Parts: sequence; structure tokens; C-alpha cells
Amino acid sequence: MSHAVTELVIPRPILDDMIAHARELAPHECCGLLAGTDRIVHRLYRIKNIVALEGAHYLSSFDAAKVAHLERLSPAERAEIAFVMDMQDFSTAKKDMRQRGLDLLVVYHSHPHDPARPSGTDIKIATDYEEIWPKINLAVPSYLLISLMNGEPEIQNYWIKSGQVSPAPFIIR
Amino acid sequence: MIKVRIPTPLRPLTKNQGEVSVAAASIEDLVNNLEAAYPGIKARLCDDKGELRRFVNIYVNEEDIRFLKGKDTALKTGDEVSIVPAIAGGSPWPA
Ligand SMILES: [Zn+2]
Repeated sequence: MSHAVTELVIPRPILDDMIAHARELAPHECCGLLAGTDRIVHRLYRIKNIVALEGAHYLSSFDAAKVAHLERLSPAERAEIAFVMDMQDFSTAKKDMRQRGLDLLVVYHSHPHDPARPSGTDIKIATDYEEIWPKINLAVPSYLLISLMNGEPEIQNYWIKSGQVSPAPFIIR
Repeated sequence: MIKVRIPTPLRPLTKNQGEVSVAAASIEDLVNNLEAAYPGIKARLCDDKGELRRFVNIYVNEEDIRFLKGKDTALKTGDEVSIVPAIAGGSPWPA
């Protein structure tokens, strides 16, 4: 029973939209949010990746090594290995969710050249963010990765809690 | 006094404090008073024109100041302000 309650349901058209988003932005990383009710996704929000914006990587929780690496890259190259969400887009999405009575369920992003597994950076930032979600009145979301490294997109969903990664299974319907 | 939550990436500027208290009647006031106490913090939050940068949010009691009055948003004692950094991540190190 608990299985049926906790498993995330992603409708096929929303999954397809997310894959299309990843492909449109490749080789740059895409990012976005999935929202719904009772673990069923109803809506996708594309969020701009502004990692190339001046100073963006400083205010994200990238560690010193990642910042140093990003600094050596051009803005366009930065977007190939990292994302920073446009927080104005994020707030607009958050407001829309509240008006529609939806919960934030998933934060997604793509790995154009790498497997659908959270990187060290992903895990660190998600862990830092754990204390922020309740302050902004949102439940801790799962993290979905879309890999485009092989021909067919690979999609995996995870819980990231206190630095620990565990699978968050989903079904497509 | 207004309580301000400081996110991890800014804590090196606030002597590692996750929460600080400042006197302020508006967000603009708050940012300037934070800057006086913790030099360097303003540039992380605002651009040259004083507008909030797109990779940071400031919430007053859970509402984004962009949906209130921006930097002119009024503050009163008891308000809770959270500085929220962008959700971010990346790929593993390139080979
Ligand atoms: Zn990643």
C-alpha cells in the first residue's frame, strides 16, 4: 500500500515535454519543476538556466573547486556542466502552483554528456537546500535527472537527504 | 529588529551565522544595513542599480519581494526575511 502512495506518477505528455526541453537546450543543461497533487504530476514549469549570468555561480552553493572550474570556462561552456535556476522564474512558478493548489514534487535537470545520476555538486546543493524548503513553505522535492549521453534519454528520479541518494521510483502513465 | 536567514553560500560573509538581526524599515534599508555590518553582501544580492539579482530571492514571511514592492517593501518588527540562493547543480567533473 505504501508503495502505491509514494510512487510518483508522471503522465506521458509531461515526460515528453521534459525530454523535449532537455533536447532543445543540449548541449546546455536544462532545468525545471514538476508540480501536482497526491504524487501525480499535473504541470511542468521550464525554468531558465542562468549559470552564464555574471556572478550567478557565486551565490549558488557551488564549492570552491567547482567555482574555480566554472571560472575557466566561457559562459556558454558553463551551461554545459552546470545550471542555476532563474529565481524570478522560480517564484512565478511557485506562485502559480499556490494559485492552482499544486505541490512542488520534482526538481529536474539534464546531464547532456553524463549519466542520469546526481553529481557531487547536485548532492551538496540539494543537501544545503533541505533546510530552505520548509522556510519557503514547500515540501522537499525529489530530483529527476535526464541523461542525453546515449541516443535514448535515460531518466532517473532520486531522493537526496543529508547527502544520501536513494532511488525515488516513478511510473509513466 | 528583523530576523534575516542567511543561506550557506553567504555565511562566510556573516561570520558563519545562519541568522542575523538587523534594524530596517524596508528591504532597501535591510540590504544597506546588512552591508554595513557584513561588507560585500550587497553586491551578492543586488546589481549596480540596486535591483535584486535573478539568482537570488528575498522572501518576507514566505512572499517573494518581487510580488510585494521589491526593494521598497516595508518591514516591521517580527517580520522574517529569508535570503534564498538559486537552486543549482551540475554534471560531474568533465573527464
Ligand atoms: Zn547534475
